[in-house]
Amino acid sequence: MSEADNKAPGKNSKTNVILFALVLSLICSLLITLAAVGLKGFQIANIELDKKVNILKAADLIGNKKPAKEKINKLYDTHIKAVMVDDQGKILETYDPNSLNFYVFEENGVIKGYILPINTRGLWGKIHGYLAFENDGQTVSGFSVFSHSETPGLGGEIESAWFQKNFKGKKILNGQNKFVSVGIAKGKAANLSEDKQAHYVDGISGATLTGRFLSEGIKQTLIKYDSVSITFRHRQIKTQKDENPKQINLKNTEQ
Amino acid sequence: MPEEKTNYMEILFKGIWTENPVAYQVLGICSALAVTVKMSTSIVMGIALTIVTAFSSLLISSLRKQIPSNIRIIVELAIISSLVIVTDQILKAFFYDISKQLSIFVGLIITNCIVLGRAESFALANKPLDSFLDGIGNGLGYSLVLVSVAFLRELLGSGKFFGFNIIPQFIFDAGYQNMGLMVLAPGAFFIIGLLVWLKNSLPGISKEER
Repeated sequence: MSEADNKAPGKNSKTNVILFALVLSLICSLLITLAAVGLKGFQIANIELDKKVNILKAADLIGNKKPAKEKINKLYDTHIKAVMVDDQGKILETYDPNSLNFYVFEENGVIKGYILPINTRGLWGKIHGYLAFENDGQTVSGFSVFSHSETPGLGGEIESAWFQKNFKGKKILNGQNKFVSVGIAKGKAANLSEDKQAHYVDGISGATLTGRFLSEGIKQTLIKYDSVSITFRHRQIKTQKDENPKQINLKNTEQ
Repeated sequence: MPEEKTNYMEILFKGIWTENPVAYQVLGICSALAVTVKMSTSIVMGIALTIVTAFSSLLISSLRKQIPSNIRIIVELAIISSLVIVTDQILKAFFYDISKQLSIFVGLIITNCIVLGRAESFALANKPLDSFLDGIGNGLGYSLVLVSVAFLRELLGSGKFFGFNIIPQFIFDAGYQNMGLMVLAPGAFFIIGLLVWLKNSLPGISKEER
């Protein structure tokens, strides 16, 4: 600002206005760039950790209290495995842009379930979350939201525990084993007809649109990952016949 | 310097109480409606706004002799938005959970009329330290209103205080229900209206009596 100092009386002259604007823009952009670049590492680490927390939350490995960072990483490394499959449900070893990515949740080497990433539009922006399923390929075991831009207090309630808890135990198949997905009811799920109650969770008052977008997003994701769910369902039928559920291994069924 | 001291106290007190930005100047209402559903978000919002107002007032006041008056609003906005973006980045890096809860509202501090209002009406005409204190005072005054509104809304709307249930179950069993209106923005509108009325009708500090 030194040039401005010297000409304080003529500070409204055209050259001075332009100079001032230029210097100010330069300083401001430098400041923002510095902050953005300098803090990027911390931010990415936070986002990665938050993703892990939400995957663990969907798998019901941690509750609402966030444990320490080390514990999260340890839980994640022991229980969660990222898997890529092609549209036929075959496991891919190398990265493929068309592959379906999801997570498998293991306990003592036994597969307990799988976790699908949900990426959908919401009312104001994208909703990113995770939907976990039990081993049978049809029962929801958990749901978590990792980022969204819904209205706090209204649509933003999708990240609250009471809403996410309701997903547990819902089925994506009806009595005839037909795909029906899970959705968010308008109002309480208990007010719906009895055949629908297993497929709907309580809605959020004042957030009908968020619920509608999320229901649709979950449905689209489930359709996309249908081959994965079917693989799990087949394996379930097989293991029920064998009466040896401990032998479940993803690779065995792929062959 | 007892004289100077009272002067500073007066600037602070003016912002916090007598010329409270929300209750007296009626600025920053939009964000007061939006973030006051819960206590925790309104406190962080209050702190963030206090910091931004204080430092933007400080910067603008120290540049007040250089800022060309025909582009002063643009200059003020550029300074304010840079500060807000930096604050947002810092929150994202070190207070990730809170920044997630506040989501878009940190960015919206830029559009909060209090920051620009104080820059225009105070910082451009006063010394840097006074402006800094004025920013803090106004930020705290805003926080005070946010927290009182949030307290009532969280209590009446969800029966909670800082996320803990404080209304015992037997009252719910007896037929008590949470007030759905309080969770929605219109609830805040009513509460802010009532608070402004209450504040301005308190004896000794009302607009009429001063």
